[in-house]
Amino acid sequence: MAPVPDPNSVGGGAKRDEATTKIPSKDSKKKDDKKEEDLSEEDLQLKQNLELYVERVQDPNPELQKIALESMRKEIRDSTSSMTSVPKPLKFLRPHYGVLKEFHAKMAESDLKKMLADILSVLALTMSAEGERESLNYRLNGSESDIGSWGHEYVRNLAGEIAKEYTIRQGEESSIEDLMDLVQQIVSFHMKHNAETEAVDLLMDVEDLDLLLEHVDNTNFRRTCNYLTSAAKYLPGPDDMLVLDIAYMIYIKFAEYPNALQIALFLDNMQYVKQVFTSCTDLVKKKQFCYMIARHGMTFELDQEMVANDEDKEALQDIVNNSKLSEGYLTLARDIEVMEAKTPEDIYKAHLLDGRASSGPSVDSARQNLSATFVNAFVNAGFGQDKLMTVPSDSTSGSAGNWLFKNKEHGKTSAVASLGMIQLWDVETGLGHLDKYFHSNDNPVVAGALLGVGIVNCGIKNDCDPAFALLSGYIDNEDSSVRIGAIMGLGIAYAGSQNDQIKIRLSPILNDANAPLDVIAFAALSLGMIYVGSCNEEVAQSIIFALMDRSEAELGEALTRFLPLGLGLLYLGKQESVEATAEVSKTFNEKIRKYCDMTLLSCAYAGTGNVLKVQDLLAQCGEHLVKGDIHQGPAVIGLAMVAMSEELGLDMEIRSLERVLQYGEQNIRRAVPLALGLLCISNPKVTVMDTLSRLSHDTDSEVAMAAIISLGLIGAGTNNARIAGMLRNLSSYYYKDASLLFCVRIAQGFVHMGKGLLTLNPFHSERLLLSPTALAGIVTLLHACLDMKSIILGKYHYVLYFLVLAMQPRMMLTVDQSLKPISVPVRVGQAVDVVGQAGRPKTITGFQTHSTPVLLAAGERAELATEKYIPLSPILEGFVILKENPDYREE
Amino acid sequence: MLTVSVKWQKKVFESIEVDTLQPPYVFKAQLYDLSGVPPERQKIMVKGGLLKDDADWSKLGLKNGQKLMMMGTADEIVKAPEKGPVFMEDLPEEEQSANLGYSAGLVNLGNTCYMNSTMQCLKSVPELKSELSNYQSARTKDVDQTSHMLTVATRELFSELDKSVKAVAPMPFWMVLQKKYPQFAQLHNGNHMQQDAEECWTQMLYTLSQSLKPPSPSEDPDAVKALFGLNLRSRLHCQESSEESSETESVFSLKCHISHEVNHLHEGLKHGLKGELEKTSPALGRTAVYIKESLIDSLPRYLTVQFVRFFWKRESNQKAKILRKVDYPLELDIYDLCSEDLQKKLEAPRQKLRDIEGQKLGLQASAKSSSKGDDVKMTDAEESSNGSGESSSGDQQGGASSHMTGIYDLVSVLTHKGRSADSGHYVSWVKQESGKWVQYDDANTSLQREEDITKLSGGGDWHMAYIVMYKARLISM
Repeated sequence: MAPVPDPNSVGGGAKRDEATTKIPSKDSKKKDDKKEEDLSEEDLQLKQNLELYVERVQDPNPELQKIALESMRKEIRDSTSSMTSVPKPLKFLRPHYGVLKEFHAKMAESDLKKMLADILSVLALTMSAEGERESLNYRLNGSESDIGSWGHEYVRNLAGEIAKEYTIRQGEESSIEDLMDLVQQIVSFHMKHNAETEAVDLLMDVEDLDLLLEHVDNTNFRRTCNYLTSAAKYLPGPDDMLVLDIAYMIYIKFAEYPNALQIALFLDNMQYVKQVFTSCTDLVKKKQFCYMIARHGMTFELDQEMVANDEDKEALQDIVNNSKLSEGYLTLARDIEVMEAKTPEDIYKAHLLDGRASSGPSVDSARQNLSATFVNAFVNAGFGQDKLMTVPSDSTSGSAGNWLFKNKEHGKTSAVASLGMIQLWDVETGLGHLDKYFHSNDNPVVAGALLGVGIVNCGIKNDCDPAFALLSGYIDNEDSSVRIGAIMGLGIAYAGSQNDQIKIRLSPILNDANAPLDVIAFAALSLGMIYVGSCNEEVAQSIIFALMDRSEAELGEALTRFLPLGLGLLYLGKQESVEATAEVSKTFNEKIRKYCDMTLLSCAYAGTGNVLKVQDLLAQCGEHLVKGDIHQGPAVIGLAMVAMSEELGLDMEIRSLERVLQYGEQNIRRAVPLALGLLCISNPKVTVMDTLSRLSHDTDSEVAMAAIISLGLIGAGTNNARIAGMLRNLSSYYYKDASLLFCVRIAQGFVHMGKGLLTLNPFHSERLLLSPTALAGIVTLLHACLDMKSIILGKYHYVLYFLVLAMQPRMMLTVDQSLKPISVPVRVGQAVDVVGQAGRPKTITGFQTHSTPVLLAAGERAELATEKYIPLSPILEGFVILKENPDYREE
Repeated sequence: MLTVSVKWQKKVFESIEVDTLQPPYVFKAQLYDLSGVPPERQKIMVKGGLLKDDADWSKLGLKNGQKLMMMGTADEIVKAPEKGPVFMEDLPEEEQSANLGYSAGLVNLGNTCYMNSTMQCLKSVPELKSELSNYQSARTKDVDQTSHMLTVATRELFSELDKSVKAVAPMPFWMVLQKKYPQFAQLHNGNHMQQDAEECWTQMLYTLSQSLKPPSPSEDPDAVKALFGLNLRSRLHCQESSEESSETESVFSLKCHISHEVNHLHEGLKHGLKGELEKTSPALGRTAVYIKESLIDSLPRYLTVQFVRFFWKRESNQKAKILRKVDYPLELDIYDLCSEDLQKKLEAPRQKLRDIEGQKLGLQASAKSSSKGDDVKMTDAEESSNGSGESSSGDQQGGASSHMTGIYDLVSVLTHKGRSADSGHYVSWVKQESGKWVQYDDANTSLQREEDITKLSGGGDWHMAYIVMYKARLISM
């Protein structure tokens, strides 16, 4: 990669060049005399010639001057092709630099003076004192001839000086026009010579990226955009948005719509998304766009402008609505042959724990059955069949009913809701399974059915709006468990949809003085999910009022933390937009003030990698609190949320969390495993795994519980054998402690989530895009885990189902133009960062060839192993439409 | 008249005619015909909610060709079973313990691990427990006060252990034990001293055998003797005078002497049954060296073997420990240590046992691969031992139909860790009726693997077996 542009040290590259060329210049001065004798014949000749030219230049005769200058220029140009050592003409001219400078100053304005300025500009490359920018000055006074003729190194040096000059002139507010002309030349030179990174760097320094648009062409736009997008991660706002804007425009210019769409999604700019649709005319490509939007988890309504034909529109909308997700997922499952339902016992693998397995309990343990319910739900998620809850319809409701009633009270809610998880994404069948529970007179069962409807509709949109139709009737039910089921179901089903109807129904609950706290908490959370990242004022107001209305005692409740969280989700990733609300939150009761502050800060900067915010949060963690403040928990999670966006920041964060763990107070230590879990979600890094394994035996049981859950999170959907083994051993280590054992079971369920076909990673499309709904789901679970005892181990265990928002198949499924799956060979390997690398570097390493559909692990990338098809998306993840290659010839 | 299509589960009912003049109930009745879902169970999603039976079609803005979605099944509604399951969390504490599959641990009252581990081993003998429960609470005159109290305390302790989930603090028992045997109350620097578990074991058995004697002085030996006692017939032989004499004695345990040649329990036992002693020879009229060779004359139901690991070291003035590794098997055959009479008696039952095992092995060998043969034998052995255990408790009184085979199965191990008898730590490892091994380390109990039990054979600083108890494998004829 090219040097990372750092706004603080402008033109770092140029500085280095000077340093390397300067050093020989100083000592060579002394040695010059001695060396003279060692010179070869040719060199001596050259030296004498140059000396002669220098003399002649000072000759009063312009003709002679001109000839001398021209020959001097020729000598220099001939030699500057490479810069591995100081070219000889430059070396020999060095002693005369001062003379020439003086002479230049005395000269009258003329072409010759310009010519001399050109030469001086080149000489200044090695002679000019640091910070003088003589090279630039002479260049500006020069003849403005072709800049490239003096060689690459000269141009680079000039670029560095321009950057410096630019900042100085910005300070003085003087004109920069002359500079910009030069910039034009340099950029065009760089762009023509495969030095896109340098061109971009220069333009970023002089803050005029728009110029880039004129200079990119078919051959270099990809590399340019690649560099722009990856540089954006390290730029402070709002520069990063600007950079991406340019990248978007370049992509649009070259009709590279899938990439343009990606950037539009990253910018969360609906205008751009629409533009992609309107600019593109190919229907099949539009289908591909729809798949990309669907994966991002965005609610998106196509209109006439984007697709003219009604029938086509319907087909496209179907894709955006994710209605084919279940089908694709099952295709993958069938191909990998994992359709067979698994029981919790298949996951626990107790037989591998010789001697330690407890002797088959004669009495049902509600806690253990509840964990089995969750494990069953997560493992069989989306497969439509399991061995506990769904049974062949002919065998009556016998055994299904049995398992349901092996769960106690609120456990039944989770049990029924697990049906939603098992039928995930398959709305029609799922509703059929859940229907009978609607007629139960047992409130927890009804609540479960409502929640199940929400889960089954997660990420799926349907014109009939079944979730709203079914759930809205129960929002104001007299039983609060039923209300929570309906509210949470709506939150999950409509996450990110910004559905007004639901807002109208849920907002009043927040400010209803008679509503119990748990209902209010879940309503706030659901509204936060539905309006995630929308900065919606109205919802924010309602939640703020709800928070202000809470009594002192209520603010101490565990569930109250969902109110600030709901508020925070509204601003997820929206950075400065949170400031007004953050200001209001300072007026809250001091019990919740700091907690709210931390939550808002961490949500607003989630996924931005903003270093300053990381430092803010770290400072919070550094304090040693005396009274039982709880705001450090969200601060630690916030660290992970902010830093998780790119690999470098992520690694640094893991290191600093290690520090926090060593020196932090107990309430911080409890949150650290969760933060690690978020950083490496569905990406079991060995070092993190070891840290968590160590913490899972911590003497503080809350630290241990958090570490165990996080072990599950980092291994979620990977079937990672090492984590599975660790958890198995933990299950025997903690076989006596019901709470810890529950956590171990849940974690086991996570690791084998979807039998290893799912991922929880909210980042997708080669880690570029962050799905806000997915992150919202995970963050909610993590906040719930901050007070494990009262929420997950209490009667609100169903918050675990919020994870469904982040569950996505980690597959690559290729389909033909009519969207039928086709199998093609692909190479799958570890992704390689190729940004700014010369030539055509390999994008994956250590690959294996499979045929689609294939699973992609964290950090893996796929590429087609056949020329027969052309993928319509450059990012081979999720659904990819293939087009036959017209140029393909069978060998 | 409009036509709509209705999606229901995976089916789509195309072009259903809707008579917008009729109430939606009529439409639902149409769907009933198609899907078999009764109208009251149908949920039809239209814009803004569910289709109500008395809704006005015109307000719903139904369009021709619109797709509707129906939810509903004709399935039976789930009813809660009349009797819900009982959850462990709801049970009182005592019943939760039954779930664990083994009883609670004992709290260390200050260097009382020797006592705790001894009691846990003794508790594992169900016959002893039942004898104790039959014991009269009122004292009979031929038992002294302290023995009586100790016996009652033992009974109470055992029943408390069975009931409790949490570790039991054996305070009353300990007070009585100290009263009965003041040597256990020795103080050192104000703390109670660590004691030899073997001494505790022996004293306990002695006391119990005294107090559990049948009230009438009959021929029957006492219960404890019946369970643990074995008769040794010894032949004394003086090499100098070629005198020979024989005597019989009754002991509660066999000693496994550990010398340089002993690597295995069996060798140690043989070694222990052969000894030299000096006594006055009537023929020579002076003390002479006699060789004493003992053979087992009657077999106990529970064979206790003590590893003689401690000896008095004069120079350091303490009981030193032999760390030598002495292997012991899970299945012990002491046929060759028995007297000829006894061997004859054992012949038939042993043959029968071999037949049964052979049969089982034969059957299973055909089912399983030959490589697993050893494992099969192991599990078979366990099964038969469990079976015999039940039968033995069944005909406790008669015992006529079950016979000794001379083959014993390991049921409990008392281990010592440390360098001398009066220091270190005692732990007991007991096989449960379920066949699982449990380690009782004072208040802590944990499940163990069978192969780890045989690793307690010494040769390092790990726990090493000090007293092992075997249970006879009986066979009914």
